[in-house]
This record gives sequence, structure tokens and C-alpha cells, in this order.
Amino acid sequence: MSEKSAKFKNYTLVLLITGVMILVGQWIGYDKAIIPSIPGMILVLLIAFIALVIKEYVPAIKFPAFAWASLIAFILSMPFMPTAELFLKYTNEVEFLGTTTPILAFAGISVGNKLGEFKSLGWKVFIVAIFVFAGTFFGSAIVAHIILSATGLI
Amino acid sequence: MKKSSVVSLVLAAFIITIIAELIGTQRIDIGIGVIVLLPMLFAVVMGILITPGVLGKRIKALGKAIGTEEVDLAGTFVMVALLPLGVKYGTLVGPNIVKVVEAGPALLLQELGNLGTIFLALPVALLLGLKRESVGATFSICRESALGIIGEKYGISSPEGTGVLGTYLIGTLFGTIFFSVLGSLSLSTGLHPYALAMATGMGSGSMMAAASGALSEAVDPAMKETVLAYAATSNMLTGVTGLYAEYFLGLPITNFLYKKLEPVLGRRK
Repeated sequence: MSEKSAKFKNYTLVLLITGVMILVGQWIGYDKAIIPSIPGMILVLLIAFIALVIKEYVPAIKFPAFAWASLIAFILSMPFMPTAELFLKYTNEVEFLGTTTPILAFAGISVGNKLGEFKSLGWKVFIVAIFVFAGTFFGSAIVAHIILSATGLI
Repeated sequence: MKKSSVVSLVLAAFIITIIAELIGTQRIDIGIGVIVLLPMLFAVVMGILITPGVLGKRIKALGKAIGTEEVDLAGTFVMVALLPLGVKYGTLVGPNIVKVVEAGPALLLQELGNLGTIFLALPVALLLGLKRESVGATFSICRESALGIIGEKYGISSPEGTGVLGTYLIGTLFGTIFFSVLGSLSLSTGLHPYALAMATGMGSGSMMAAASGALSEAVDPAMKETVLAYAATSNMLTGVTGLYAEYFLGLPITNFLYKKLEPVLGRRK
């Protein structure tokens, strides 16, 4: 098997696993029955797969697969698109928050071997980083608040 | 991918997901505001806890099931598992495209607000006694693009490189935890939920999800969809503009301020 087809086989496997985890998770957390959510999930996974294909074969545009996935779904769901109604009807069966839980489960495990490095950094870096986060966030929020008020949107 | 590693990793993440969803969304009223704790927060904490460095070294069976191989594999899984969320964000922006275009000026200009880190964090870093490390650590929120910029300009083993890696690492480890708390708590500042929503787009998909998810659960349900649409759009914009803003504005401003502030705030030996 070529390297690329092995890669895409792995991607497909991980996508399917993630899909099943989301379906079970949103059944427990948000009372979404599993069977009626399957068509929507297949659509979501299909777009995710296409995003991976584009990222692989159009490397000239340095856009992460996450952005491609958003962009495709965005175009399909715009009000004047003929696809919008049906597409949204099915994908609405996939709960937004339900998609976040498996990601963070994997993300938590994936940072496990960095805890050692963290201990060597020391508390000063931790404090500085907290101010970096807060500064980035509130800096944007304050500018957005001012502009939204000025343009009369809030 | 080794089969046995995939099985134990998936099993662990699946169990974590189920427990996190069983706990469900929790709301804690702390007087000045409400903290919304989402299942994803419980998931990330449980994920960190079961790794070899934490509980894995105490509980032998766990250490055997989730070892360094599984931890490395989890990184690959994250990249792919993020995609369904990306699709969902697209479906939130699409139907709200008119609102998003109307808010265009605010969405674009708030990107400059990301530079707020410099004015807040650089003085703190200097007061704590950091030298050139402070430039790398505070010129941006230090995601991948920032590592690239500093790596190219100063080298990643330079003091500036140490700084950028420090903030990067703290962000990777605690970013989602921090922002999932701040997301809902920030409402008590009086800033408008829409402004806060735009601020959650900082160039990191998981931090944006944590902050905007918590925020959307804390606001008036009528605002929920718009909050998520603004958040997703802002994050996409940061993905496009972030690198340039960091390189052409963030770094020069930080260096300029460093020159002015270091003699005043920096610790003398």
C-alpha cells in the first residue's frame, strides 16, 4: 500500500471512531437518539474527509483542514444556496457541544508527556502566560465592544 | 498506527467522553457571575489525569494501557477529531452570513485587539524579572504561527525562543481549561456577549471552542447562535491575518516597548 493511501485509511478510521463517540456522547448528554442522527453524522464526516483531501492535494494554499471543513459547510449552508435547507436539516442532528467532548478527551491525553517540561518552566512563565491569554482576549473584546456600539449593532 | 495502541487509546477516550457527558454541563453561581463547566472541560482534565506522568505511574495497569506510544497517537487523533467541530462551525456561520457581514468592521478591527497581550503581559513579565524571554512570551498568544516567526528571526533556542515556547506550552496544557472558565465568567465584566464572542477567536480551534462553548451556554438562548457564528468567523479571520499581525505589528511593538520599559521595570542585578 502506498504511503498516501495508508494515511487516508487511518484518517477514515479515526473519523469513523470520532463519529461513533459523538453519536454516543450526544445520546447521553443531549438526548439525541442515535439512529436519526446517523445521516447527519455521515454528512459531517464526509465533509471532514474532503477537507483532509483538499489539504493533502492543494498544499499551495496553507490552510488547515479545520478551516477547509468550516469553509465547505459554510458555503453549503448559506441562505441562498439550494443545498442549505436539506444540509442544515440533517447536520442539525449533530449537536455542536457533542462534537467538542471527544476532541478534548484526546487532547488531554496528548499533552500528557509535556507535563515534565511544564515543571521545568517554573511559575513565572505560568503567570506571564495567564496575562497573555487575558490580554489577548480582553483586548479584542474591548475593541469589538467599541466598534459594535459605534456601528449600532449592540 | 499500531493496532493495540489504537484500541487502548480509543477505549480510554471513549470512556472519558461517556463519563464527561454523564456529568453534563454544570453551572456554578459565584456571586459576581456564573461559571459554566462543559463536558469538554471534564474530558480534558480526565485525559491529562490518566497519562503516564500523572496517574499512570501510580496505577500500573493504567500506565501499561496508556503509555507514551498512546499519548503520541492521541496527538494525531486530535487533528482529525477537530474536523466535525469545524463542520459544525461552518453550519453556524452560513445561515448567519448577513449578520456576520453587518458586523464586518467590528470583526476585522477586533483582530488588532489581540495585541492587548503586549500591553498587559509584557510589564508583568518584566516585573517578574524576565529579560528577552519576555518578548517571545508576550508578543502574541503564541500558537504555531508565533513559533514559526520567533524560530526564524531569533532561533528557537534563543531567549526569545524560550519565551515563546513557554507560553505555547502553557497554552497547550491549560489553554482550554483557562478559557472554558473565562468564557462564561467574562460576562460579568459588562462587555457585550457579541464582543466577547468575537474575542474568543484567537487562532486556536480548541481554545475558541472552549471559550465560545461556555459563553454560548451562559448567554440568553436567543443570542446563542450569533455568539457561535461570530466566534467561528473571528477564529477564521485570525487564521488568515494572525501571522501578519504578529510579524508586522506584534513583534515590532513588543520590541519597542521592551526598550522603553525594561530600564524602568526590569530587575537590576
